[in-house]
Amino acid sequence: MAKAKAGAIETQDVAQEAAESRIYEVGYHIIPTVKEENLDAVVGKVRSIIEKAGGSFIAEGAPVAMKLSYPMSIRENERHTEYDHSFFGWLKFEAPAEAVLALEKALKADMQILRHIVFRTVREETRARLKLGTLREVRRTDTIKPVRRVEEVAAPVSEVDLDKALEELTTD
Amino acid sequence: MNILTQNDIQHIDYKDVDLLKQFINPHGRMMSRRRAELTSRQQRAVEAAVKRARFMGLLPYVQK
Repeated sequence: MAKAKAGAIETQDVAQEAAESRIYEVGYHIIPTVKEENLDAVVGKVRSIIEKAGGSFIAEGAPVAMKLSYPMSIRENERHTEYDHSFFGWLKFEAPAEAVLALEKALKADMQILRHIVFRTVREETRARLKLGTLREVRRTDTIKPVRRVEEVAAPVSEVDLDKALEELTTD
Repeated sequence: MNILTQNDIQHIDYKDVDLLKQFINPHGRMMSRRRAELTSRQQRAVEAAVKRARFMGLLPYVQK
């Protein structure tokens, strides 16, 4: 009985959580063979999926050409193609949880999307604003002062002293 | 004091590659928490961001 009750509450919670909107961010790589003038069309497709599922946009980063840290491959008509460049863009949006399922499915099926990521985030701006000069700050210790060498006194040495010194060295 | 506290950074974005590079070594591996001087909460946030950045090809998994 108690178990059934707990289960009922749980499903209610799940249903309630699903109904409310959450903040998500989607990042995507568009394959480099897409021409720059056609990028808007690809982004438009992504946007329309989110809009259709009842989402609203918060922020956007337009796709920019970038070099990937490692080559990524995508299956195109039974063949794997590797890319080391892409157009990377992102979108921050608010949408119910089901919207993400639809979005993930659509992005996976899209042959022009090389790779994508969808995750939960916060409404605030997450990009770090760094104070200039704080990055790569070198910790300074006390500066090392150059030690001045004591100049050797170049005085004339007598023959006797030199012989004595040499003898001392050789006898050792 | 670490960079995050110094700059009052609350959220770590996987797209901030220059910031994340402060927490990885030349081989692309993550620094230990002790070396990075991060709090455990910060270390977990950096870890998640680095992993996302790696998956999206913004950072390498391994660097020789």
